[in-house]
Amino acid sequence: MGNGKFAKEFAKGIILANPVFVLALGLCPTLAISTSIDNALGMTLAVLIVLLGSNIIIALIRNFVPNITRIPIFIVIIATLVTVVNLIFHAYLPATYEALGIFLPLIVVNCIILGRAEAFASKNPVASSIADALGITVGFMLALLMISFIRQVLGTGGLSVFGHDLFTLPGLRDHPIAIFILPYGAFLVIGLLMGLFRRTGVMKNE
Amino acid sequence: MPAKKSSTLKNAFPIILLTIVVTVCVSILTFVDSLTRDKISAQEDEAVKALLSEMFPGMSHFEYQDEIYTIYADGDQIGYAFLAVGNGYGGDINILVGLEDETTIKGITIASQSETPGLGTRIAEPAFTDQFAGLAISDVSLSRDGGQIDAITSSTISSSAVVEAVSQTAMEKVKQLKENQ
Repeated sequence: MGNGKFAKEFAKGIILANPVFVLALGLCPTLAISTSIDNALGMTLAVLIVLLGSNIIIALIRNFVPNITRIPIFIVIIATLVTVVNLIFHAYLPATYEALGIFLPLIVVNCIILGRAEAFASKNPVASSIADALGITVGFMLALLMISFIRQVLGTGGLSVFGHDLFTLPGLRDHPIAIFILPYGAFLVIGLLMGLFRRTGVMKNE
Repeated sequence: MPAKKSSTLKNAFPIILLTIVVTVCVSILTFVDSLTRDKISAQEDEAVKALLSEMFPGMSHFEYQDEIYTIYADGDQIGYAFLAVGNGYGGDINILVGLEDETTIKGITIASQSETPGLGTRIAEPAFTDQFAGLAISDVSLSRDGGQIDAITSSTISSSAVVEAVSQTAMEKVKQLKENQ
């Protein structure tokens, strides 16, 4: 595979097939954990490991797996990867583990992972599947960062990343717009961003 | 899969493959679990010890029995600690409560919580938790209920969950301590 194709598969995940804004996949963790930049980065790391692992393994075994057991096998592989990530985070990144809470194990049913396994890795060679996993993860990360940034700044009146206060907005600090930090604030922000990206033509429906 | 095979083998193949995949996955998980288990339990012990010694600066060691930590400073008993679980807005709030003696709160620390970030999570901040230090157990209630604790603005559910859990569990534990004596 040439560099051009690798780049194409990588780039498509960021804008054309952005998992959150275009494919509308993985909305559950996106809604739930996009309350701070820290959570967004922790979630991205977990998704990167799981998606990369599952895309590689599934691309490798794609020619042996009979259709009838396709889904159970994919799910077992994904669940194994998620459990491994879960244990490793618990052992070595306890703060991130605490922050992500239930949404770490729930990556098992994150439709981004199974969606890419089904739609891409089960039909493409390993190299393209790696490019696909990386691109989708970057797209997921950018979406999470964007949503988290807006929600954290408006909802808490400032931005702090890993304990460092980057800035605070004096007026908002005392009277933060709490709706943005609450779950329905997530719907609001995602909806407005989706609308904005469509209206300006940056992203299109598939 | 090759097209021409006996039909039995062909029918059995998916089952065999799934069995192999599951076996491999279980082995991997067992292996990773054995690698991380000690680390995880050491981390949890460390976390408890760190929280306790922060609450009781003079602590030399502690004993854990019947869900109560008894805190010692070089042979002298300097207090008790226990875990209280509050029913918060986003799930359980685990609170480590320290007692100076059988009537007075030494302090509280929020060990884990899943409250609304930026609102309910402020129960973990000193501005809220420091209010408990030195209070008589009977004074632990929100100020609107005649107690000594000011709730966090717009996080009344989280605040009262902590207050209720601390005061109820403290009363239970004191009763338990008195029975044991």
